[in-house]
Amino acid sequence: MTKPATDTNAARADLLEKVTGRAVYASDISVPGMAHGRILRSAVPHARIARLDDAAASALDGVVSVLTGEDLPTLAHDRWGLFLNDRPVIAGEKVRYVGEPLALVVAETPEIAEAALDLIDVDYEHLPFVDDATAALAPDAPLLHERHESIADFYFKGQAKPVDGTNIFQNYGVSTGDVDAAERDAAHVFEQTYTFPGISHFAIEPHSVVAAFDGGRLTVWSGAQSPTAVQKVLSRVFGLALSDIRIIVPFVGGGFGGKASVKIEPLVVAAARKAGRPVRVALTLEESMLTCRRLGASITLRTSLDRDGKILAKRGTILLDGGAYADTGPAVAVKAAHCVIGPYDIANLEIEAKAVYTNTVPGAAFRSIGGPQAVWATESQMDEIAEAMSIDPVDLRHRNLLPRGGEILDSLRALDADIGEMLGQAGQAIASLGGGSAAGIAVAATDPGILPLGGSLVRVLADGSITVMSNSVDIGQGVRAVLRAVVAKTLNQDVGSIRVADPDTATAPFDWGTGASRSTVIMGLAVEDAAQDASDQILELAASIFDGAPNDLRLVPGGVARGEDVLSFEDLYHRAFGIDSGEVVGRAMVTPARKGSDFAKSPLFWETAVGTCDVELDEMTGELAVTRYVGVADIGHAINPAGAEGQEEGASVQGIGHALYEQLDYREGQPVNATPVAYRVPAAADVPQHAHTVLIENGDGPGPMGAKGMGEGGILPVAPAIGNALARRYGVRIRDLPMTPERIWRALRERDHDAS
Amino acid sequence: MSSIHEITLMLNGDPVEAAVAAHTLLVDFLRDSHALRGVKRSCDMQVCGACTVLVDGRPVSSCTMLAVDADGASVVTIEGLGGPDGLDPVQEAFLEHGALQCGFCTPGFILATKALLATNPSPSREEIVHHLSGNICRCTGYQKIIEAVESLAR
Repeated sequence: MTKPATDTNAARADLLEKVTGRAVYASDISVPGMAHGRILRSAVPHARIARLDDAAASALDGVVSVLTGEDLPTLAHDRWGLFLNDRPVIAGEKVRYVGEPLALVVAETPEIAEAALDLIDVDYEHLPFVDDATAALAPDAPLLHERHESIADFYFKGQAKPVDGTNIFQNYGVSTGDVDAAERDAAHVFEQTYTFPGISHFAIEPHSVVAAFDGGRLTVWSGAQSPTAVQKVLSRVFGLALSDIRIIVPFVGGGFGGKASVKIEPLVVAAARKAGRPVRVALTLEESMLTCRRLGASITLRTSLDRDGKILAKRGTILLDGGAYADTGPAVAVKAAHCVIGPYDIANLEIEAKAVYTNTVPGAAFRSIGGPQAVWATESQMDEIAEAMSIDPVDLRHRNLLPRGGEILDSLRALDADIGEMLGQAGQAIASLGGGSAAGIAVAATDPGILPLGGSLVRVLADGSITVMSNSVDIGQGVRAVLRAVVAKTLNQDVGSIRVADPDTATAPFDWGTGASRSTVIMGLAVEDAAQDASDQILELAASIFDGAPNDLRLVPGGVARGEDVLSFEDLYHRAFGIDSGEVVGRAMVTPARKGSDFAKSPLFWETAVGTCDVELDEMTGELAVTRYVGVADIGHAINPAGAEGQEEGASVQGIGHALYEQLDYREGQPVNATPVAYRVPAAADVPQHAHTVLIENGDGPGPMGAKGMGEGGILPVAPAIGNALARRYGVRIRDLPMTPERIWRALRERDHDAS
Repeated sequence: MSSIHEITLMLNGDPVEAAVAAHTLLVDFLRDSHALRGVKRSCDMQVCGACTVLVDGRPVSSCTMLAVDADGASVVTIEGLGGPDGLDPVQEAFLEHGALQCGFCTPGFILATKALLATNPSPSREEIVHHLSGNICRCTGYQKIIEAVESLAR
């Protein structure tokens, strides 16, 4: 397939660095005098630390220092969090999950640090543990945290609602209409429970941080998706001014949410502070698997319909397994509660989402937080209902879908996509791939939790090259290419003249973070506004020189023109400033009050998705393969079409992993497969032979050129579409992910047993 | 302490002599002693393929090979492909097909592809998929990687 030249060019500069191996990632950073840290991790799920003896480790030749819980009192704040102040910088009195950092050895080489770990003696006083969310709700369940300290509007708007004396750290409800009455009137009531496991992000670059103090000032290089969140948390923990903390983010080797908010940065900074040296900690992939994961979920839905298949009411009970520390789990619960409704017209709703602590790896944001869990339940149940009522599954959806402009909840912005039309396009596309007669289908709409707060600088330099400064992080989604394309269009400059600098909190303005499909819209608008500001300034300068009005002038590649006369930027600056140097700085900060934008209601846009697929089952082994897959997304406008398509393809294959193999598995509080060897993610052979992405572009998004955010929605419909295809073609319904060969094989045996 | 060994090898076409500790891994030797940071470190257990380099033309996980075992061999990293005049055709194909996102796995995929095409200039889709099964990409969904390699098949 050929790509439009400009889009390829916008992406090309970054991709060129990556294909040549020149791209610098956080794990490639090295600074003079740097020492190396390795982490001793808890071997047990829940225990008091009775004794931790690091004397022998500290005495080892080449060891610089050992950070332990004893160092916590030296910190301005020894705990941190974004919703709940629940996480110690390093384990203090107790450990709450297998893998929790207990000690961090800093040494001259990683090998010495590793060797020193073996010399640390830990005596655990074991505590009862709970590694299952349902068990964590029991009245006599062991408590992970004795008290809850919820913090409001710290980095997320609003606050979590923990329940004292329990493991519940978030409790969120949606209630509209009268569900009881609707259930009494209903012709059919369906109740099913669906489960979704904890899932590892498995970004190929593990978490990696270098921290260096220079006097009282701190510089941190991290593969972080939210540099300003890291800056804020470090400022609290270490009692430093924000301006004394510089977070630099080079290229990031995959994020998917696993590098969002704050992860190992406070730990590494504490180690650097104690060591009095710059410290590098580069986790292995296995350690990253012990750092964060997607929240597992158990979702019970009770859906009532009239005899024509119109949904009258829905009750949803969502229980999320948040692991040992809340991280962004409270936001995951809110999103799951919204997403479980589906893009349907339902007048009566009672949805309750709880997130609980368990003695497992902390839950965290992961591509469309809470969405895949919710859509797995909702869209599987839609097909179960369709089958029970003998209605075609697509038809059942059409009977209930909201039209464009309909409201899923009246507190949320009206739906900005036509999902019925997307269903039609999905059907056509899979037919054109030669299939679809027994396809599974699923639809989804999610409200990305986007805070419209982010700024940028666009600097037009004297030689006509342009530097864009922004704290939006390139985690592989290609945000730099998008920003470059937006600036090129706004300033009418060649895309090749525009460079996007590495995110750096010392030089780029605040940006809330890279996640929730927000960068194309928020940072896109910020660079568009900044470029427009630069353009206004340049035309004003030029007007004084041409002795005319700014609106007689226009920007052309490399300079300004009036009629046929062209003045290069260099000549313009020379005549305006007296030397042939200088620059024009455009600046912009997108805020909730941005002129010309309607940011009053959330979400800024809906992320919508339809997925449809064909499957092949080996009935002897239970092995399921997706043979055709079509994803449809309404993205408003594709600023970088190849990149947008790549996001959708990547999301769908990640979704296949979630559907068929992935599960972080616990036995007796121990993670049994949290290693790259035991944990299977999709490989090239798992990709559907025939796949197609349909991007709907009506130019109706809030971002530059009418773009909406995208990149997360594609994962939403995958698992239920596969489950629905399996049920439709082979007559077995799986309600617990992943759909492993064993589960399918057992279901096949049951089917055949029931039939005989 | 482990013993030090003198090794000689061809590294990206240039002869190299070095003294390495017996336990030094090839990935560390390449990244730390020769600043070849395009060799990426991830799983450390020969699962992900990010650290793939070519040793005498064969794709090898440098995280589980000792540097001493490269004695007498020819080692090629991503930095050894292409040259001042341009990109290697495999790099060009990955670029043209948008066969990468975060790029962390990309050097490994490109080198694995070089090795495939050296022994099989016209691989089928099945052969491509099979050959690339030792490399994990969490971003792209592989589609565009497979398309890029297919475009090189003669």
